[in-house]
This record gives sequence, C-alpha cells and structure tokens, in this order.
Amino acid sequence: MSSHVYLVLTLVFYAVGALHVLLQALTRRRLFLTSWTMAATLVGFGLHTAALAQRWTEAGHFPAVGLHDGASLMAWTMVLVFLVISMRARLEALGLAVYPVAFGLVLVANLTPVVPVGDPVLRGLFLPIHTTLAFFGYAALFVAFAGGILYLVQERELRSRAPRTFYYLIPSLERCDTLSARAIEVGFALLTLAIVTGLLWSHAVHGRYWTSSPKEWSALVAWTLYVVLILARQRTGWGGRRAALLGIAAFAAVIFTFVWMNVLAVPVSARTP
Amino acid sequence: MIVVVGVSHRTAPLPVRESLAFAPDSLGEALRRLRAEAGSGEAMILSTCNRVEVYAREEEPPAPDALEAFLCAYHRRARAEVQPFLYRLAHEDAIRHAFRVAASLESMVIGEPQILGQVKEAYQAAEEAGTLGASLNALRNRSLSAAKRVRTETGIGRNAVSVSYVAVELARKIFGHLRDKNVLLVGAGKMSELAARHLVRSGGRATVLGGRTFARATELAAALGGRAMPFESLRDELARADIVISGTGAPGIVIQEADVEIARAARRGRHARPLFLIDIAVPRDIDPAVRRLGGVFLYDLDDLRSVAEANLRERRKEAAAAEALVEREVREFLDWQKARDAVPLLNELRRRAETIRRAELDKVRRRLGPLTPAQEEALEAATSAIVNKLLHPPTIHLKEAARESDAPEQLSLIRKLLGL
Repeated sequence: MSSHVYLVLTLVFYAVGALHVLLQALTRRRLFLTSWTMAATLVGFGLHTAALAQRWTEAGHFPAVGLHDGASLMAWTMVLVFLVISMRARLEALGLAVYPVAFGLVLVANLTPVVPVGDPVLRGLFLPIHTTLAFFGYAALFVAFAGGILYLVQERELRSRAPRTFYYLIPSLERCDTLSARAIEVGFALLTLAIVTGLLWSHAVHGRYWTSSPKEWSALVAWTLYVVLILARQRTGWGGRRAALLGIAAFAAVIFTFVWMNVLAVPVSARTP
Repeated sequence: MIVVVGVSHRTAPLPVRESLAFAPDSLGEALRRLRAEAGSGEAMILSTCNRVEVYAREEEPPAPDALEAFLCAYHRRARAEVQPFLYRLAHEDAIRHAFRVAASLESMVIGEPQILGQVKEAYQAAEEAGTLGASLNALRNRSLSAAKRVRTETGIGRNAVSVSYVAVELARKIFGHLRDKNVLLVGAGKMSELAARHLVRSGGRATVLGGRTFARATELAAALGGRAMPFESLRDELARADIVISGTGAPGIVIQEADVEIARAARRGRHARPLFLIDIAVPRDIDPAVRRLGGVFLYDLDDLRSVAEANLRERRKEAAAAEALVEREVREFLDWQKARDAVPLLNELRRRAETIRRAELDKVRRRLGPLTPAQEEALEAATSAIVNKLLHPPTIHLKEAARESDAPEQLSLIRKLLGL
C-alpha cells in the first residue's frame, strides 16, 4: 500500500478522537468512551507510523519537508508525546487539545499534494536529526501551550463560581501549571538543540551560521521568551496565570516558525537551512 | 419469589420511618422472629435513616401480608396507621428495587456513597442470623457488584453536594492536593469546623484565629491538631495561608480588601500561589472586592450552594447512564435466575434417560452373553448417541423456555409430557 492509503486510514481513526471532543463540547457532559477513543488513537498511530515509513521510502529522504510531510510528521509527534504522557498520568483533558489538532494536521496532510524535492541537501543526516529535535520540541511546547489554555479556562470556571462542563473535565490549576512547567523544560531543551543543529546545518550548506531568515528570527524570539519564562519561574516563583499567558505567547512564535518552514517558504532552496 | 415491604423517604415522613427503624444490635433477633412469625424461608432487613425495608423469599403462593403484619407487630404499631406509607414489591419489581437501592439511585441525594455500605451490613447481619439463603445471597452478590460498577463506570457519585465538601473539592481544583496547605480558620463555628476537618484529613495544617472567646479557638485548634492565634495576627496569618475559612458571627466585614492585599504583597516569594477564601458567615465576613485581586478566589455561602447545585445537576445527568447500567444488570440477573429454574428439570431428564439406557443395556447383555471389549464399546457408544441425540433439542428448548415470561407453565407442561 502507498503512504496515501495509510494516511487516509490514519485520518479515519484519529477522527474518533476529534469526534469525541466535539461530542463532549456539544453534549456538555463527560463521556465514558475514553478507553475506546484511546484504542482508536493507538490503532491510528500504528497506521500513521506505517504511513511515515512508507513515505520515507517513497521520498528517499526524511519526510519532514513541505506542508504534506510536515503536517503529518507534526501530528505523529504530538500523538506520540500525548500517548507517552497518558501512560504516565491520567490526563484526559489534554486530549481535548491533542485529538482535534492531530486530526486537523492529518487532514491537511491528506489534502495537500506531495511536493517532490530532489535537493541533495536533504540527503544528509542533518535533516532527520534537526527536524526530529525540532518536532519533538514543538510537540512538548504544544503540550505546555495546551496546559496554559486549560489553566486559563479552569481559572475562569473557578472565578465564575458557577461551574460548567470544563470545571469537571479539567484538572486542578496546580496540575495544569505543573504540566506546563515540565513541558516547557523539556520543550526548551529540545528547541535549543534544534537551533544548534540548525545553525551547524546552515554553516555546512551556506558557510554561514545565521542567514537572517524569518524563521530563524522567530525561533530566536520563541527561545528568548521561554528563557524568560523559565528564569521567572525559578527565580521568583512566577507561575499561574501570567506564566500561562507568556507560554501561550511564546508558542505563537513556535507556530510561526513551523508555518514558515513548511508552508510559506515554498522554494526548496529557501526552505533548506 | 423475592418480596420487599417497607417505607422510604419517598413514601413516609421521618416520624413514621423512625418508628419502624431497627437498631443495628437488634437485627439478629428481629430476623429470627421474622422467619418464625412470617414463615419466610430467607429474610434481610435494611434499616437506614431514609428507609426501612424487609426483603424476604416467600414460597408460592405467598402468605398475604405476613411481612407487613410482622413489621407492625414488632414495632407495636397499628396496621391502619402504617399501611398508607408501606409499599410492597414482588418478583421482578422487588429485584429491580434491590439493585436500585444498592446503586444509590433511590437515595434522597442521588449517588450518595453511604448506602452501599449500609446494604452490605444488612446482608451481613442476615448472614450472621442465618436467614440468608441461596436466593437472597445471589441477589446480594449481583446487586452489590452492579452498584460497584455504577460507582466506577458512571459519574453518579463524583461531585460533592454538601456545602462543606464542596469547599474541599474546590480547594482540590485549585491546589491539586492539600498536603501541607495552610488552612486558616477565622471564627470557630460549626460549619467552618466541619470544612476544616475535611481539609485537615486531606493533609492541611490548621490555624484557628480566636476572637472574643479565645478558649473556644484553643479547643478547636487542639481538635484539629493545629494552633490557635489571637485575632490581631490576622494579616501575618493571611500571608501564610493558602485556604481561609471565615465564619464569625460579626455584624460587619472582618477581612478587608486591604488585609488581603497586604498579605499578598508580604508573600512576594510565593506570589503565584493562589489564595482560596471561603466566607460561610451570614452576614459576610470578607469584603467581596477582594475578588478583583489576582490569584484570589472568594466563595461565599451562596456560591458554595450554587456549586453544590451544579454538582447535583451533573449527577442527575450521570444518573441516566447509571439507570441503564442497572437495568442491564437486572435483566442479566433475571435471565440467570430463570435459567437456573430449568436446571433441576434438565438433570432429572438426563438421570431418567440414563437409567433407562443402563437397564436396557443389561437386558441385551444377558441375552447375548459375554462380548469382546470392542463390541462392548460399540454398544455403549451407540446407546449413548441415541440418548444424546434425542435429548439435545429438548435441552436447548428448555433453556430457552426458562427465559420466557410464561416459563413456569411451560416447564410444568414439559414435566407432564415426560412423566417426570
């Protein structure tokens, strides 16, 4: 089977999670199908892995370039990170963010054509190493972002003094805050490594570490914001609402970096480091 | 046939329920008397503040209202007085009722957890009194396991519906866990004590601020394993506190916005930590303006009540899922019970066929004389096959028939036809 077939099947199974979240939002009640949704996601993840492996063979290089491959790999990484977190802690609410986004990304991947690239730059080891670090970093930072959103929603619920569905679904403020903090630590470390490998790759290709492209700048902005956030947390016991807001703002820069890489920078030459 | 007779909060006011209640230590004696007087093969009595029920297995046809008579005679109440409040359920209805009671679907506060323990104890008492037979024991196993499924698989018991528990649950929604959280009590009223007890049991550390009666504060602090402080240290204590429960009888505001603001500023190092203020005084103790401060969550009595109501609505939504689950379990139990009714008949049928087969085999052997082992084996196999093939369709039919509603009639017809 070609990678396309696998990717369509993946979409079908991820749709279960997205539907789960949608139903939950519409019916405004806790659903007790979490284990089925999780099972469907696991099957979907297996198919997704097959799709990526197949795609790697078809492309002849690590499938992370362009919107089709980028979206698919991003979704795969997010689901993997979500599954790993779910194995360690019961955090159903995180699914509220992960399920729809993973479905959306795979949908995008299904709708966009594969761009054939013959650039020899993509053959080396830099592409898989750099993108793997970056994508896992993005996924961790997405979890931090989701934790921040959950924090703000739960805070609003608590302040309203009239709890509705989300009050029951979302864990405690403390837990959302800790989730964000841990995810940012992991995500920041990976992002740093990704930036370093990116600089080295750029040097190997262009002879310059810094080419001043927008995605380099946005990555730097994101990195700086996360440094500020981590230091503020450690030094002054910062946290809660302000940390959530800053984490969300920093993630906007991450999104820009990703979108620039995989969507806007269409010419392959501009997309390489 | 299982029968239940009783009163509950739905049918009888408290005085009537009280007058029919059984004290826990008199249950054994009551059960033995019940069996002697009402002639029930098996019996169980469930007596809680919201219901008094007698479950019994009665022979067919049942002695009319023997259980009612016992209930009145035991408590020396006139039948006419009690009769209008009593309900009597039998067969399927009694079984469904037993399941629903255990699952807390019949409780005054749906999903309350105590009832399961009370039902367990009631069966335990019946077992000790020797009045628990196969039928009630089967009902016990099935209804209790269904009740446990309801608790774990639906959210019927999930959210607090009493004001003091709501306060604890909100604290958990804010802080996650309550270990080593500082709980400050301002005023030593009954309700603040109850909420504080829950918090301390979850790991919180209590400090009681005394007002005019410092002795009461010291007493309460000792009971909570905490310390008592004079009211003058309010601002310092506010700065240390994570959770504040205020319930003084003061006529005006006791904790001003400035108090909270200063306390927040004093703990700059842990600025991010939220402060949860619970005002259960009427009139209110805490200035509502503190709501504007970042990281401060203020709940007054009305807020706690509105959360409790929201929780109750949440439970009612879950009740539909619980109802469906209980109904499935009841159906399964009824099917199992009916299939069990067919078992004695099936066994009898098999035994009868086997006796005939043996007798005929013996006759044949006598006529033929000694046989080789191979011939012996062939004879065994052939006769067994005939019996099995003949009995196969009626066996299947019997098991199916047992599940039908007219099973008793069908089974007795089959008995007649087969001469059993």
